Amino acid sequence: MQTTLAALAVVAVGYILAYLLFDRLRDRYGYVGGAEYVLIGVLLGPRVTGLLGAGQVQDLTPIVSLAVGWLGMLLGTYFRLPTLALLPPEHVRTAFAEAVATFSAALAALLALFHLVAGQPWSEAVVQAVTLAAVATLSSPAAVDAFVDRARVRAPILPVLQLTARIDALVAVVAFGLVLAVFHQGEAAPGVRPPTATEWAVINVAVGVASGVLFHLFLGPRTTGDDAEGTSRLFVALAGAIVVASGASYYLNLSPIYTNLVLGFILANSGSSHRDVSRLLLATERPVYLALLIFAGAAWSPGSADLLFIAPLFVIVRLAARFFGGRVAGLHVAPPELRAPMFARGLLAQGGIGVAIAVNYTQVRPDLNPRLILTATILSVLLFEIVASREASAMLERLEPVERAPRQQTELGSAAHSP
Amino acid sequence: MIRRLVVLALLIGGAVLLEPLRAPTEGVIAPRSLFLFGILLLTADTFGALAHDLGLPRLVGYLVAGLALGPTVTGIVPAGVLEDLGMMKRLAVGLIGLLAGAELRMADLRQRHRAILWIVALQGATVLLAVWGAALLARQWIPFLDGLAPVPLLFVSLLFAATLTVNSPMVTLAILTETKAGGPLARTTLGVVLVADVAVILLFTAAFSLAQASLGGSAAGASDILVHLLREVLGAMLGGILVGGVLSLYLRFVKRELVVFAVVVVFATAAAAQALGFELLLSLLVAGFFVENVAPVRAEPLVETLHRMAVPVFVIFFAMAGAELHLETFAALWPLVVAVALVRMAAVMVGSRAGARLGGAEPVVVRQVWTGLVSQAGVALGLATIVADRLPVLGAGMQVLIVGVIAFNESVGPVLFRHGLDRAGEIITR
Repeated sequence: MQTTLAALAVVAVGYILAYLLFDRLRDRYGYVGGAEYVLIGVLLGPRVTGLLGAGQVQDLTPIVSLAVGWLGMLLGTYFRLPTLALLPPEHVRTAFAEAVATFSAALAALLALFHLVAGQPWSEAVVQAVTLAAVATLSSPAAVDAFVDRARVRAPILPVLQLTARIDALVAVVAFGLVLAVFHQGEAAPGVRPPTATEWAVINVAVGVASGVLFHLFLGPRTTGDDAEGTSRLFVALAGAIVVASGASYYLNLSPIYTNLVLGFILANSGSSHRDVSRLLLATERPVYLALLIFAGAAWSPGSADLLFIAPLFVIVRLAARFFGGRVAGLHVAPPELRAPMFARGLLAQGGIGVAIAVNYTQVRPDLNPRLILTATILSVLLFEIVASREASAMLERLEPVERAPRQQTELGSAAHSP
Repeated sequence: MIRRLVVLALLIGGAVLLEPLRAPTEGVIAPRSLFLFGILLLTADTFGALAHDLGLPRLVGYLVAGLALGPTVTGIVPAGVLEDLGMMKRLAVGLIGLLAGAELRMADLRQRHRAILWIVALQGATVLLAVWGAALLARQWIPFLDGLAPVPLLFVSLLFAATLTVNSPMVTLAILTETKAGGPLARTTLGVVLVADVAVILLFTAAFSLAQASLGGSAAGASDILVHLLREVLGAMLGGILVGGVLSLYLRFVKRELVVFAVVVVFATAAAAQALGFELLLSLLVAGFFVENVAPVRAEPLVETLHRMAVPVFVIFFAMAGAELHLETFAALWPLVVAVALVRMAAVMVGSRAGARLGGAEPVVVRQVWTGLVSQAGVALGLATIVADRLPVLGAGMQVLIVGVIAFNESVGPVLFRHGLDRAGEIITR
């Protein structure tokens, strides 16, 4: 009894102390990350106090899948077509160039790392490299929006930065979803022909589309999102929708983030409930992200020592790929008025979707170095979140502000979610 | 509503279509459980809205949804899935306990302590005596009492009656949250069910010890049970004070991300409760009470956060409780179940009215308080499980009847309480 209660006290006091410590970092360096939540997860988990044993960590799967799907759905709601249609084509071109260049550079480096250095067969190296390249490509739309909102200057590059963060996340999630479908793991029921790689990719999209259409019908034309009661009811309906879509993907060993991205996209572009849905998802993003960090901490284990060197190398790969992508987009693709050689400095924060991808990978591919992927992702997310805010501010200082403004009116950040 | 039901039917059809695409797998959480959990949530939400449209409490809809999808009726959500999702239910129980404790204010207790204590005492005594007497009189129709020698008969039937004195803090809190009722009836009922929750465990312990001793169980066995249950209560209180202290420190020094912190606290306490064998609901109830009434911090932010989380938590808890209802028990024993439930209901009415009158409660409380004390749910089921585990054969028979009565009370109780609050004019949100 004493041991367990002591463990409970260790977790609680450790958590509060960690929070106070990171609060100082927050005040001094503008740190926005959640390392203290990873720490609480580690403290709770089987490796330290054992309050949550390995089995109990697994028992949290419904909450984790909900959180993973929640972030995927939030990402989907960023892509509202009427808003996107108003964007200048050069913005879209620049954003896609940055995302594709970053992803390609990271993928090439990681493939070399897994296949040539670690000696893994191509089929295994591709799955791991694409997953980590997806994590490397991510930049957090919420963090960029917050930064732009705080910046209080109007510079033409800022809307491009916001769009790029969204396109980065889109490219990352689609790449991750496709690699899990194409290199599908798991057997079909006896007597059923196993679907081909293409068929799995189609099934993955179909599950998302079917879920989107069904939940568009389920939520109906009217939602009562104006009061606390209505918000709670909408929360239950959305949670149910996300758990169903995530459950279907998880059942088929596909990516719930990808499925929920499609679901979110359909809900954001159909019916009158998209505003309530977007508002609720945005309002709950942070608790969901922090819950994921706690789970990632509890589930974390360093894994095989032979491959552990890849985790710090991944941080370097991400940094290099990010700056490469930034230079390609900022110097060679962007029109003259948008030229920004240090474009990538505004896109360093990774946010919750990176953790979601890594956690999702551990659920779907437990056979293929899940601990390494989780370790590399957590390390990268936490390190970049320490420097992201400062680097973004430094990038902004180099820009020539066109005009000071009390609050940024952005073409995506506010417009996508304004009433 | 029809559109929602069609969507649910399509989702279930979709589940059937997807089934052959994957060979059955084993795991701590089977992938299928997650999908079915989502369908359970959506169905409960839909049935809750339907119940609301019919003027019934939403939780009746959640229970019916769970029952309809559960192993007893359609089997769409099988028993294995409910086992897989046990952690979700523990989370729900913990959050409800924390909210219930924080809702119990010392000022209210001081103001109403006489009425609350009188109602707890007289309601408990009346139900105990009425059900005990009825069981003794009807012993030839009650399978587990039939053929017992006089002394065991006396104490086993006492144990049966003691188990049925339990109320349901879960149902009370769910109805109060839904209706936003906060008048004298709401406050008194909440105080009664929470105080009774502690008192009844002690009563149950004593009755169990006597029953076990009368059946030839060793004295050591009976004292083991006593020690076990006392440890459960005292451990829960100690754990609750510790958790309350942690919550207070957090509210004082950090006060951010309360949703995440509340969930972490519940999971950590649930893990400790499972390891140490103390009761989760009681410990978090004590923790909530400690933060609200003892610690020198402002608990409003925590209470507001818990209120925001309440609706999803109630949907999860009652949908799963509905899926776990044993309708087949009710079908097999329904005349007996209904008779016992009606005797209990009458005793609750007489005892609580007398208690409220002696305690000087308001006339509206005297008239309506019984409506909030009919419901039974999680705690009663827990005690029934202890009986089944510790008294082989006879205990299993008693559990069947108790579960049938709980199913009846869980279905009828919420409707009665809502009606009572309505008659008392305390319902704010319809």
